[in-house]
Amino acid sequence: MSDSQSEGGSLVLPDLLEVCGSALKAAQDLGEAAHGAVKALVVKDDGKIDASALEADQFAVHGLAWFETYVAALREMLAWAERLEADGALGDLESLILQAAYGEYLSQMLGGLPMSQVEILRPIDLGIPVQALIGFAGTSAVMTLSGKGNTASVREAIAEHITHGNYGQTALGDEMLDMVRDQFHRFTEEQILPNAHEWHLKDEFIPMSIIEQMAELGVFGLAIPEENGGLGMGKVAMCVVTEELSRGYLSVGSLGTRAEIAAELIRLGGTEEQKAEWLPKIASGEILTTAVFTEPNTGSDLASLSTRAVKDGESYKLTGAKTWITHGARSDLMTVLARTNPEEKGYKGLSMFLAEKPRGDDANPFPAQGMSGGEIEVLGYRGMKEYEIAFDGFEVPVDNLLGGKEGQGFKQLMATFESARIQTAARAVGVAQSAMEIGMKYAHERVQFGKPLYAFPRISGKLAWMAVETMIVRQLTYFSAREKDSERRCDIEAGMAKLLAARVAWSNADNALQIHGGNGYALEYPVSRVLCDARILNIFEGAAEIQAQVIARGLLSRRD
Amino acid sequence: MKILVAVKRVIDFNVKVRVKADQSGIETANVKMSMNPFDEIAVEEALRLKEAGKAAEVVAVTIGPAASVETLRTAMAMGADRGIHVLAEGDVEPLAVAKLLKGVVDKESPDIVFLGKQAIDNDCNQTGQMLAALADWPQATFASKVELMAGENGGAVAVTREIDGGLDTVKITLPAIITTDLRLNEPRYASLPNIMKAKKKPVDQMSPEDLAVDVTPRLTTLKVEEPPTRAAGIKVADVGELLDKLRNEAKVI
Repeated sequence: MSDSQSEGGSLVLPDLLEVCGSALKAAQDLGEAAHGAVKALVVKDDGKIDASALEADQFAVHGLAWFETYVAALREMLAWAERLEADGALGDLESLILQAAYGEYLSQMLGGLPMSQVEILRPIDLGIPVQALIGFAGTSAVMTLSGKGNTASVREAIAEHITHGNYGQTALGDEMLDMVRDQFHRFTEEQILPNAHEWHLKDEFIPMSIIEQMAELGVFGLAIPEENGGLGMGKVAMCVVTEELSRGYLSVGSLGTRAEIAAELIRLGGTEEQKAEWLPKIASGEILTTAVFTEPNTGSDLASLSTRAVKDGESYKLTGAKTWITHGARSDLMTVLARTNPEEKGYKGLSMFLAEKPRGDDANPFPAQGMSGGEIEVLGYRGMKEYEIAFDGFEVPVDNLLGGKEGQGFKQLMATFESARIQTAARAVGVAQSAMEIGMKYAHERVQFGKPLYAFPRISGKLAWMAVETMIVRQLTYFSAREKDSERRCDIEAGMAKLLAARVAWSNADNALQIHGGNGYALEYPVSRVLCDARILNIFEGAAEIQAQVIARGLLSRRD
Repeated sequence: MKILVAVKRVIDFNVKVRVKADQSGIETANVKMSMNPFDEIAVEEALRLKEAGKAAEVVAVTIGPAASVETLRTAMAMGADRGIHVLAEGDVEPLAVAKLLKGVVDKESPDIVFLGKQAIDNDCNQTGQMLAALADWPQATFASKVELMAGENGGAVAVTREIDGGLDTVKITLPAIITTDLRLNEPRYASLPNIMKAKKKPVDQMSPEDLAVDVTPRLTTLKVEEPPTRAAGIKVADVGELLDKLRNEAKVI
């Protein structure tokens, strides 16, 4: 118990929202200074980005992405608190979460921000002028928050609030979304959580009965427009559903991603006939889809992929190797990216195909002519299984060329990235929440030295910080979803949400396991699964390094 | 057949309830609220009768502050056709609730009223019984099974009740009041399409005055306290010491 609490006072800083507002302004100014400094390094006089400088100064360039992600996170946390305040619902817990978030992130911006455990970004790496730094550090709001915002006593006070599982209000401000969350929370508690660990340990497919229930609940048609057989509920609703399902099992939350990627591809790039044919089937869950983009030698560098599609009469013949095909065997429709024009080596030679295939199983994963493949065994993110696939003259009718036009594949894929990143950020939020809840449970159950672990400040403090950071990434994710729903460009915001949420999911999982001590290392304990699941989030849908690159590129070319 | 289901907005069953610092009641500010779980079972049972073609309409009714409409919305997302909201602020005691429900019953003339056997906030377990008395209708409480009986004059229903010694099956004629127990059914999840549809379903709002009911509380809460924390147990060396402690410390033998 801290001194001020034992005196009965609250640790919430006076005029918190105003103070955070001033600190945010200072952080935004510092972000501007960083932006200017990095721009001076990599943007030429004609305003174009110098590709070789971009690579040579990669640490600074990616650092800018992280730095601005922190600024955006602080902005959204204040917006969250202001929404609560407007509703008269800003409680002690939410205030403490806000000030801890500011205290920690402002301190990290000044003293060192972990892009990964082994890469700490410091202001000097960004080339921020000393004057700007002194101005930031000397701002009274920044001094107050970095000094008193996130002390051990504040974390202890947060820990007292969250001990019974109330981790703070989400402030979605929509009764319908709250109802959606309630329903999927219950579904996850009753249908997913009791089974997920067994599915993981046995490396089994998620049972079809679960997929059928999800289809009935409307998961797969959630974001598909009503005229195409979906519900047209928007991305915020998608985030809420994804978060709850991923809290149970990452792979269950990810079933929606398959549908989302395919549906976005067809919705944005397909002909009217293709939309009418496929979208209702995806929405109803009648068909399961899989994304077939990556190749053994082509991951982030998609533009160089080499699988060929050769037109032969009324069909295209596909030849080449693909890998990391999630849910490949049990899916009915593949969205395949392949090269239709071998003369065009870059992305302009790529086309997207809607390729039907029969459903396979463990005994015979790919019972189709011109197609073979095998399972890639993985640490986590099981339940759908990963495959490598070889196409050897696999036939796709010409009508199944997405959009009916060659050379559009890369562009069509890029158009879906905003939605896919938002959805992936929501998956990460769900995994982060799951890790925190599992850590919390164990910290209460496990007794050492005559007390539950939670009584020890190093344990409860970890969980308190998890609650803060989980709220940060939740709010950043909702923000990007709201931007998308408002039809504003949000590639940068979605990337930021995904980048930070993945880091938080991993640190929550790592620390939840730490709380378990040796038991956490035993396969028997669910936290071991969550650790393995969390690890993929920094890799798929844009590895953290590529993600930072894309964000920085966007930032450097957006403002001018 | 028309079914009326009464639903109450209560503190969510997962929430750890806190007593207000001044001991005047329970802390409800910024606390998650949900439909009383026994009422969810009541809604589910009504919907099953509708889906079996035995009921034509399911109407959900709630009594409470403006936010209670969220609970109606949940009932409608599960499948209820429409909602009635009796807007009443503050504490409304079981007798007042029963009188308000009687007013709604008079307006709606349902054949069955389903209610949860009790609400998990104050555990009164009175409303259904009082409503039956006010309406002078037969009642079956703590239902674990409900079966409509065909061919009866005006209709009847066989209700299996959970009682201390086992199960008790009663036959009551319609219209009737039935309160639902935990094992009657497992409530469904509201699907996303039904959540969307619920937004468009109509809700009638009325006041206690419209129903000519005085809802002034008759009880005064003196003090609300947390239950005492359980003290740690001890180990006794032998039977002699145990008997000694039971006799002289606990004074139970």
